[in-house]
Amino acid sequence: MQTRFHPFMPAAALAALALAGFPALGQQAQAPYRAPRTADGKPNLNGIWQAMNNANWDLEGHAAGMPAKEVVGILGAQFATPPDLGVVDGGSIPYLPAALQKRKDNFASRVKLDPEVKCYMPGVPRATYMPYPFQIVQSTQNVMFVYEYAGSVRVVNMAAPTKAPADSWMGWSNGKWDGESLVVDVTSQIEDTWFDRSGDYHSDALHVVERYTPRSPDTMMYEATIEDPKVFSRPWKISMPLYRHVEKNAQLMEFKCVEFAEEVLYGHLRKPGTDPYTSTNPNK
Amino acid sequence: MRAMSALLIAGAALLTGLPAWAHHAFAQEFDEKRPIKLQGTVTKWEVINPHSWIHLDVKGPDGKVTSWMIEGGSPNALFRQGFTKDSLPTGSEIVVEGFQAKDGSTRGVGSNVVFKDGRKLFLSNNTPGQNGAAAPEN
Amino acid sequence: MSQRVVAFLFFAALIAVVLVPPPLAAQTANAVKSWTPPKTADGVPDLQGVYSNATTVPLERPKNLGSKEFYTEQETAEKAKADAAAAAARAARDADPNTVHYDLGQFGLDQRVTAVSNRTSQVIGSEGTIPPLLPEAQARIAAKNAAMRGHNFDDVQHRSLSERCIMWPNEGPPMLSPGYNSDLQIVQGPGYVAIMQEMIHDTRIIPTDGRPHLPENIRVLMGDSRGHWEGNTLVIDTTNFTDRTAFRNSGENLHVIERLTRTSDKTLLYQFTVDDPKTWAKPWSAEVTWVGINNPIYEYACQEGNYGLPNILSGQRAAEKEQANAAK
Repeated sequence: MQTRFHPFMPAAALAALALAGFPALGQQAQAPYRAPRTADGKPNLNGIWQAMNNANWDLEGHAAGMPAKEVVGILGAQFATPPDLGVVDGGSIPYLPAALQKRKDNFASRVKLDPEVKCYMPGVPRATYMPYPFQIVQSTQNVMFVYEYAGSVRVVNMAAPTKAPADSWMGWSNGKWDGESLVVDVTSQIEDTWFDRSGDYHSDALHVVERYTPRSPDTMMYEATIEDPKVFSRPWKISMPLYRHVEKNAQLMEFKCVEFAEEVLYGHLRKPGTDPYTSTNPNK
Repeated sequence: MRAMSALLIAGAALLTGLPAWAHHAFAQEFDEKRPIKLQGTVTKWEVINPHSWIHLDVKGPDGKVTSWMIEGGSPNALFRQGFTKDSLPTGSEIVVEGFQAKDGSTRGVGSNVVFKDGRKLFLSNNTPGQNGAAAPEN
Repeated sequence: MSQRVVAFLFFAALIAVVLVPPPLAAQTANAVKSWTPPKTADGVPDLQGVYSNATTVPLERPKNLGSKEFYTEQETAEKAKADAAAAAARAARDADPNTVHYDLGQFGLDQRVTAVSNRTSQVIGSEGTIPPLLPEAQARIAAKNAAMRGHNFDDVQHRSLSERCIMWPNEGPPMLSPGYNSDLQIVQGPGYVAIMQEMIHDTRIIPTDGRPHLPENIRVLMGDSRGHWEGNTLVIDTTNFTDRTAFRNSGENLHVIERLTRTSDKTLLYQFTVDDPKTWAKPWSAEVTWVGINNPIYEYACQEGNYGLPNILSGQRAAEKEQANAAK
């Protein structure tokens, strides 16, 4: 907001304006948003959130693109890669030269290789920007992230950091507060997850640091710094807003996608002469 | 009604709840008519669920090396005891007794897996508290 | 402690270590007196923690015990010894080299933390058993089994929900001990209680704001849960089950009411009542005490590592081929 400097403005009024904290002429400043607090005094991130972009198709900015050859003749426009300005700081992901070829190979076979097709848990950060809601349940000792997709879940340890005994699909998360932001350090992710449907991938050396920063009552900024010296020449960052589901009685719904992936995974093992649509499985 | 005292039981206890095998038709996967005894070198330990898998290279009498994968249990209880993915290092020499897959592939279930010197796996001196895993409470 | 535990794989005698419990007054099935549980920062009872729901109490009462609902102290101690002997015997049986199995003990899956109870069954009351199935339920199940007969290995859709890594029967609700990895975590945020079961990583998020259930036409495998507080007890009401859930042969009219009450720093009392007028003539109830443990929940990713299912089908296809060749 600008204050016009009027030479005849009474000094008292000018002083009053200054005391009121209105910005001086020419400057626009905004105090950082301060989220309501939980009862134990921390920024309150509880709620149901969802990204509103097409990062899950391709993190980098891109125009709309053709569906994969395996499905273009059946799904047409429904499975085109929708356009997106991209969420990668600096525009492109800094692949090492050899790693970039693997990305290209992934893209060419993306429908066969994308773990999302098999209902595998998406890992971090992809779980954040899958096109489905997730819920944060926040207590003092733990912040639990529950993702609608495949019932993926992870608990962020807010006490002294601990180490993972082995790799896992959703990784091992240690968190802490940094002012208004929740900072989560994610290690020990299995190497088999992708960042998106276009074949962006990583190795078992992946290290992700996330920041969740409330920016208004119903939005949050999400940033993730991604580091993997086996695949990328330097750390790189994605950022995007997350939006709160404000509709009454919003809830996550059960999305157990395993059975939708079964023909892909096991169709070749069915008894000859049977098919899934007449398969009379009345039970279990 | 009676008061209850909470006692912690360590050690083998009668399983109630669903039978451990209930989720898995072992009899369809592995063949009791194809017992195996293999000696080999661990190339990978897949520390996963619902079953962990030990991958090993087995050298035949002709010198030819065959890769096997051997099914084991869920590793989660091992984590609670302080073991980690490094507790069965690549290169370990092990002996596997078990049963081979029904379809004849080089896959089996390990009913008894030991180090070459006869020591049982996962009975090392890992102490609780390692890697953040605490012992069951006393 | 871990080394002592490890030394007792398989053939161990039962070791009971007495945890100094807070003096508990007599418990009724419906209320715990004289102990005030802590509250969360939001002022509701604090049920949070990581727990084991393993138990040595069978779900149903052994027939020979009739209407005896509780063991005496001495009987409880004797049962603990008998349990240990039975466990050792079973372990020995499992070690039979002619049985296809893996070594549970090798992976520590026979170790567990439980609250010893003097109950003769989880099902409460003078009967201690689940009511018999109504004739219409028996007919329903017979029809299902008839349709399955001869087709059990045709394809993945004929295998169980647990083999397919879709849902495991321990998850419910009601939540029962799975026999190993019997671990759950409760995290509470304002207006919600989240319960995550380690096997198979499913998380129930239960709103306590009084909202209605999902509409009747939306049915889900684990039902739709709504919670509210009654004093120090979280009461959870779950409906909207599918007919595939089939908890104990029930149908889509399954209705589960659970109650969770903290009874000490280390224990929660879990009670549930199950009714389905198309399956049982009357509702039945059970209870188990959960014990706090000092470990986090470890990820149990099932689908992602499910080699077993394709191996099972592949084994069957191989057996069929063998039979076909033998017939030639």
